[in-house]
Amino acid sequence: MYKQVLYAQWLALRLPTVLLAVLGFALPLLTVTYGGALENAPSETVAQWLFASQKIGVLIPALALLVGLLLGIGTWAPDHAGKHVYALSLPVPRATYVLLRFAAGATLVAAPVLALGVGSAVAVLSVKLPGGIHAYPMQLTLRFALACLVCFAIFFAISISTRRAALAVLGLLGGVVLADLVLAALSISGAASVSETVLYLLTNWPGPLAILMGRWALFDV
Amino acid sequence: MSSLIRSVVAVSALGASVQAALAQAPGGRDARLQALLARAESLAAGIAREDSVAREERHRERLATRFDAGAVTVILPASVGGATGRRFVEGAARILDSAGVIPASFIAGRIVVAYAADGVDSLVRAARLDKRVRIGADISAAPDSLTDGLLAADVLAQSYRGTLDPEWRKWLPSDMGMGWNMRIEGTEAVRELMAGETHVGALCLGGSVAGCRLWLGLDRGAQPYQVAEIRRLVATRYWPRSRGLLAQCLGGSDEACETVARDSGLIPPIPLAPAGAASRGSLLRAVRRLHGDGALRAALADTAGSVGERLARASHVSEDSLVAEWRSWILTGGGQPRVTADLRDAVPAVLIAALLLLAAARTGRWR
Repeated sequence: MYKQVLYAQWLALRLPTVLLAVLGFALPLLTVTYGGALENAPSETVAQWLFASQKIGVLIPALALLVGLLLGIGTWAPDHAGKHVYALSLPVPRATYVLLRFAAGATLVAAPVLALGVGSAVAVLSVKLPGGIHAYPMQLTLRFALACLVCFAIFFAISISTRRAALAVLGLLGGVVLADLVLAALSISGAASVSETVLYLLTNWPGPLAILMGRWALFDV
Repeated sequence: MSSLIRSVVAVSALGASVQAALAQAPGGRDARLQALLARAESLAAGIAREDSVAREERHRERLATRFDAGAVTVILPASVGGATGRRFVEGAARILDSAGVIPASFIAGRIVVAYAADGVDSLVRAARLDKRVRIGADISAAPDSLTDGLLAADVLAQSYRGTLDPEWRKWLPSDMGMGWNMRIEGTEAVRELMAGETHVGALCLGGSVAGCRLWLGLDRGAQPYQVAEIRRLVATRYWPRSRGLLAQCLGGSDEACETVARDSGLIPPIPLAPAGAASRGSLLRAVRRLHGDGALRAALADTAGSVGERLARASHVSEDSLVAEWRSWILTGGGQPRVTADLRDAVPAVLIAALLLLAAARTGRWR
């Protein structure tokens, strides 16, 4: 049954999947468009190149977010369009169906991940690095895979959640903002900002978005 | 005084008007008289109100307000306002704590008297109530200087700098690392290192610890510049070109250039070290982060040997190890490791994905 779900999902999401794969392949290659023969290049050239590499690296978690968004929400698009009748008519428990959808979606996520891996390998092979600078194609690809998985899971869950769950999340966000406003109105000296604390917890290990933070450069010291 | 004169003139003028009105218009005498008297009273009341506000402001200016945060004490003009004053002193305490350069005992022994240009006497008088050493900070010089506590932190830092030995005073960045921030100054330090202006910077970037030591100016008497670099510095920076040695250097004399560099720090165009203030500040910050507050303060209290030797001794590592640690620390944005994908990253990611999948399987739109 997984094959059928995957095939149906591929038919629905082939365009975004291919586009994301192209982006995944292109991003690491952007780094080396500044030149590849760096072994004896002046330090200024190496510095500019390294800076460019790090700037381009910032786009990689953004791509992971885009992969998660498009494929996570797209996974449920046919079900939403058909008012979930197809899912209800299947002789499988709901949990199994959700698992099948998740597995098929995750399989499609593998396409941009593999493309990024191949792009990174090509980029690394096309440069001669000076001393003190190293390439991290494998780590970058694995980190990208993990980031894509987390983003995909988040948007997958959001897309199938009930209105009540969506309201609960929105209420939580509103509560955080409200708490900040109350603290500001009371002028409580030394009180930490609630939204800053929440953001910190989300984006620092072991927070769910920590994988998107940190360094993402293919070439680094 | 001017308001008093104004009120006398105004009331006299109105009085005269009243007299004239009485003399010239006996017919509508009562109505016009009442109108003029009402105007005179209203004017006098307005002038009295203005006088009262001005008196109150002068009184408030004399009453300086004291704010404390941690070991920091600041006296501000009362006109500054409580919330701004608290933010100022708390900001100063935060910046000083973050820099970790100045011992708390030094800070606690001083009182920062922030004054506006027109209120010096009153504030100094207020500060005399406290026995501690007073340090002045002119808040009128920069109108937005009260938005954070950097001004107070800076005057305390300059005061502390004066207590250090000449070797430190020569090497320490002018701001003593106050307000040093990885996002701004850290980026500037990396940019400076990568700019490739000097050969020692390029060596350091490439991984040479010796190059980094020269770039940071850690070794006493070391010469970090090549002749061509000295000539370029002399040519591109402002200096009085009539001075013989510099002119000779520019004219092609290598010996003159070497002499200029040997006397670096004495002749304005040549900085002591290629590393600027943000970069030297980054070494202070790295020592603190990697070896603790105690290491930095012990190094600053040390007066034996070069700056590099002092920092290494206080950190209990060799000078080369310390410099290698700093290089890695600054080039990786404050010790952030290079791109990683190990178990530490994978476990939370997979767990979160699994939790979300479980949530999606247990609740949904067709349940």
